[in-house]
Amino acid sequence: MDKKNTAFLKRPGVQTILASVLCAVLGIIMGYIILLFMNPEHATEGMVAILKNFFKFSGKPQQLMYYLGSTLVKSVPVILCAEAILFAYKAGLFNIGAAGQYTIGILVSLYTSLALGWNWFFCVLAAVLAGALWGALCGFFKAFCNVNEVIAGIMLNWIGLYLCNIILSNETCMNTTKSETYDIAAKNPSGVLPGFLQGVFGNNQYMSIAVPITILVAIIILVVLNMTTFGYELKATGHNKEAAKYAGMNAKRNIILTLAISGAISGLAASLYYLTSIEHFKIASSVPGMGFSGIAVAFLGGLHPIGTIVAGLFVEYITLGGQYLNTNYFNPQVADLMIAIIIYLCGFVLFFKSILNKPRKKSLDANKNNKVASGVTAKKEV
Amino acid sequence: MPMANKDLGRCFRMDDYVIEMLHITKEFPGIIANDDITLQLKRGEIHALLGENGAGKSTLMSVLFGLYTPEKGIIKKDGKEVHIKNPNDATELGIGMVHQHFMLVDIFSVLDNIILGAEPSKFGFLTKADAIKKVLDLSNKYNLKVDPDALIEDITVGMQQRVEILKMLYRDNNILIFDEPTAVLTPQEIDELMKIMKNLAAEGKSILFITHKLNEIMEVADRCTILRRGKYIGTVDVATSSKEELSSMMVGRDVKFAVDKAPAKPGKEVLKVENVCVKSKIHQNDSVHNVSFNVREGEIVCIAGIDGNGQTEFIGALTGLDDISSGKVSFCGEDITHKSIRYKNTHGMSHVPEDRHKHGLVLDYSLEENMILQRYFEPEFSNHGFIKKKTMREYSDRLTKAFDVRSGEGATTIVRSMSGGNQQKAIIAREMDREHKLLVAVQPTRGLDVGAIEYIHEEIVKQRDAGCAILLVSLELDEVMNLSDRILVMYEGEIVGEVDPKTTTLQELGLYMSGAKRDNRKEA
Amino acid sequence: MVLLIQYTLIFSAVLILVALGGMFSERSGIINLGLEGIMVFGAMAGGMVMVLLPDTVSKATIVILTLIAAACAGMISSLLIGIACIYFKADQTLIGTAVNMLATAAATVIVKAFNTNRSNGTDFSAKLDYVRGHDAFMFSIGSLQLSWFVVVAAVLLVIAIVLFYKTKFALRLRACGEHPQAADSVGINVYAMRYAGVLMSGFLAGLGGIIYIAAANSTWHFDYGVAGAGFLALAVMIFGQWKPERIAWSAILFAVFRSLSNVYMGIGFLHALPISGTVYNMFPYIVSLIVLAFTSSNSRAPKAEGIPYDKGSR
Repeated sequence: MDKKNTAFLKRPGVQTILASVLCAVLGIIMGYIILLFMNPEHATEGMVAILKNFFKFSGKPQQLMYYLGSTLVKSVPVILCAEAILFAYKAGLFNIGAAGQYTIGILVSLYTSLALGWNWFFCVLAAVLAGALWGALCGFFKAFCNVNEVIAGIMLNWIGLYLCNIILSNETCMNTTKSETYDIAAKNPSGVLPGFLQGVFGNNQYMSIAVPITILVAIIILVVLNMTTFGYELKATGHNKEAAKYAGMNAKRNIILTLAISGAISGLAASLYYLTSIEHFKIASSVPGMGFSGIAVAFLGGLHPIGTIVAGLFVEYITLGGQYLNTNYFNPQVADLMIAIIIYLCGFVLFFKSILNKPRKKSLDANKNNKVASGVTAKKEV
Repeated sequence: MPMANKDLGRCFRMDDYVIEMLHITKEFPGIIANDDITLQLKRGEIHALLGENGAGKSTLMSVLFGLYTPEKGIIKKDGKEVHIKNPNDATELGIGMVHQHFMLVDIFSVLDNIILGAEPSKFGFLTKADAIKKVLDLSNKYNLKVDPDALIEDITVGMQQRVEILKMLYRDNNILIFDEPTAVLTPQEIDELMKIMKNLAAEGKSILFITHKLNEIMEVADRCTILRRGKYIGTVDVATSSKEELSSMMVGRDVKFAVDKAPAKPGKEVLKVENVCVKSKIHQNDSVHNVSFNVREGEIVCIAGIDGNGQTEFIGALTGLDDISSGKVSFCGEDITHKSIRYKNTHGMSHVPEDRHKHGLVLDYSLEENMILQRYFEPEFSNHGFIKKKTMREYSDRLTKAFDVRSGEGATTIVRSMSGGNQQKAIIAREMDREHKLLVAVQPTRGLDVGAIEYIHEEIVKQRDAGCAILLVSLELDEVMNLSDRILVMYEGEIVGEVDPKTTTLQELGLYMSGAKRDNRKEA
Repeated sequence: MVLLIQYTLIFSAVLILVALGGMFSERSGIINLGLEGIMVFGAMAGGMVMVLLPDTVSKATIVILTLIAAACAGMISSLLIGIACIYFKADQTLIGTAVNMLATAAATVIVKAFNTNRSNGTDFSAKLDYVRGHDAFMFSIGSLQLSWFVVVAAVLLVIAIVLFYKTKFALRLRACGEHPQAADSVGINVYAMRYAGVLMSGFLAGLGGIIYIAAANSTWHFDYGVAGAGFLALAVMIFGQWKPERIAWSAILFAVFRSLSNVYMGIGFLHALPISGTVYNMFPYIVSLIVLAFTSSNSRAPKAEGIPYDKGSR
């Protein structure tokens, strides 16, 4: 009996990483199968293009670093949205409304920058506050009206989207002929985020302080969750709402506060992305997918703030990889499909872990009992 | 009256076994729940299955009912081996079971619950007319009064149990399993159930009766099989046995039936409850109505009553989990009627909750984290919002040592992986160590084995002798009688009587608990 | 006004079907947040059938084949939820969300590939045109243009009500959503009943999907999914207290608001108001949020919904 080996595989951290890697690999394999269906001749070529990504520039360090920089910048919003979702999830709340809070973040950061001409710092601050407000609104419905936060979040997503469409379609923000917002760098240079190591990343003008801020946010979340009384309360509430109440924690306040913080992070995500001017807002008829991808990233990252960064980079890498596909044979949304498959597979993580945990002699029956063994013993005593 | 079964004049052929379970072994990861157990049920007998909590009674019955597949052993029906893979197989063999936790759908009517799974239907459409007739016939024949159209959530527990029995009879079951059927009943309801069981046996039904209450076995059972820690201990004829013999077979040693304690020396009034009402979450009426009493230093006041008569709601309101709709609660002279849970926690009220998994513990937290559940924010454990991990560890280690809480990995053990007894001890340790003047303990020994129960009883008495006021809520009449200094009986949300445990009898308590008797109490 | 009635009928049909689907699923104990995604799959399959059928087939054939395709696609995609949540005991919220994402992405990819193939590489859009199919569903009573879809929905509603209150199947299904252990103890296969509930939700939501895209439009862009209709249906279901007849009434209420955004131009006084059209788009969402705020505190969801059933944990 390989005792050491079993013990290693039974460590929760190891299992989480294994499970995530498995999801990612399975997702890629299924993506490949889909490519095979679409065009068997060029499937391998397509998959290689997605995976190789910007490393096809590996001969030219300057360009390579430039595209690496772009990938980092584009990963910022999805990582932060994932952090937002993770934070709420730890408190037992499924913040599907992150997408709407992100949308409100877009709205406020672009409006304050383009229409009001504020400095970047205040634009970010405004977006954070607006995101927090939108999150708190969702929390309010949950805490005081008992509305499921998922349903309330979805409704607020759509309301946020339409608000964003109405307000930004204003001529001061939007080039109405192209129906997309103006370039911040051109209209309000003080609204652009300060650069960060742009030289290192092939003079990538989009490389900004957003990247270090993201890492900082992840670390702060890690610290708050694991070392503070606030994190203690949130996790207690997430694990067992009733026990948290029994312990004298204020459930309603915590629900609203958690969703407000989650919303603030989502708002921050939007502002850190749009204020680099790397992308302009276009009138949209569906809620930006960032908040939803964030769910995938949070789960793929094993619901750990640092794991989430890794997962975010991976997901963005695959998504951007879709653009390297030869459009004669494939369309770039295949990458989105792969991401969706990966998040679906994340639902099986629990099952995967129970396989790792089952005792050495294994019938499927034993495996089932394993998971409930504690329940069985507990019940007997009752 | 152990002689009662003679009156029925039943006699059994030596080897007329309707069900035989031979050498049954059932393992769960980490425990052997049933280890080579043999049980033989004669036709028309009432056979008791006796054992402590965790002795393997429920597992054995689940095997018989097809819920678990045993690793070893065979089951015979009428001498022929049968394989019972699921409850359907069991039903086909005529085996029915009244589960300890009723298997009834709250929002369905009595009739729907009875026919569920065996619905009379034509082309998939329910044809209830025949079913109603059959149910009414059965209920007349066995004197099981029910209203077929009532919703389960609206009827009493005793009536729910009759529904469960009718469920078996409706399916023409001949082998009836009763899993701890008396736990939720008043003494009077228990008497009635005993009569029903004897009736059923007289009609030729064979009954397996799971219990750990010796009196009931002496009253109705013909034979008794005893299990201890998953092992078969023996089968005895009840008529030729005694309570003492059965109990020592059950626990493997002599049991102390009484708690040693000196007379109480009550001091100042700590808790005063005046006309407290609590609104029901389910129906229009109050679930707690005009409750008034007090608790003084150095005494144990117990609220007795059948489960579901407002105790949970009252304690919820007292401790702050629920709202008080009217009335007043004073604590050491201070009005705390509408104070928060946190305020009560930090001002001297300790609470051992009824449901340790729901309220008492965060099961996915470690032991040390659970130890500071109400205190994590106090300066002792936190510094500018950061938890002092070292202090927390030391505190937890001290408590676990003092209260003998056993866990696999010490302070970092995830509480979910601990045994129920140790989980409860952890809660007791936490609540008793906190600075408190009043200890509210709700069913503090529920689901624990005899050793743990004795330990907790001793701790409670120690607390009392140290001058603490104790409010105990218990459903176990033995615990009520042995532990308390004063007993209040709660019935349908009201305190219907106050008795002295030294002068009252179980029968008198039963009359109060079932609402048959009530004092016209002067308001305290 | 006639237009308003037409749109209201169509949206009611969609919301009723999809909400009934959600109801059957939740009554069996599975929270189906993936209704939106199932609608997309149903819409895609139905839309593709309408595009593919040659001009020569009769209207009745188009109607029947389209509905069958949508329902089948819905049921197959609902298995994504069923298998994950019932067999693998996955988190129902997560899986539902994943299915929604999966559906939009898959529909975009598939429709694009479909178009690319059919046009030999000249059409890369994620759009389906099915004017003929759309027309096949229309018929008129006086000046009121009606769609067969509405008739189908009405028939299914009646069937659902009868099924829900009068049959053995529904009694068992409801038992599984309230107290699965009790159902199991009387020999009901909880897993099978839950699969049945999820498949029914797939059937109904698939139909709802095709109605949503085809009853009022003759072309659809699949990169948009179905714009939250599935979630509106969930709100309708909660407002309808998981009971079919109440779901029908609340669906009609929601449909009126949803229709306003389509027809406010045609209603003189609404058009005259200085309100942007987008505001009307927000209406149904705001209304449902408010309605939920007032109804949720007393709502009684099936007790066991969202909790994976494990035979061992009784």
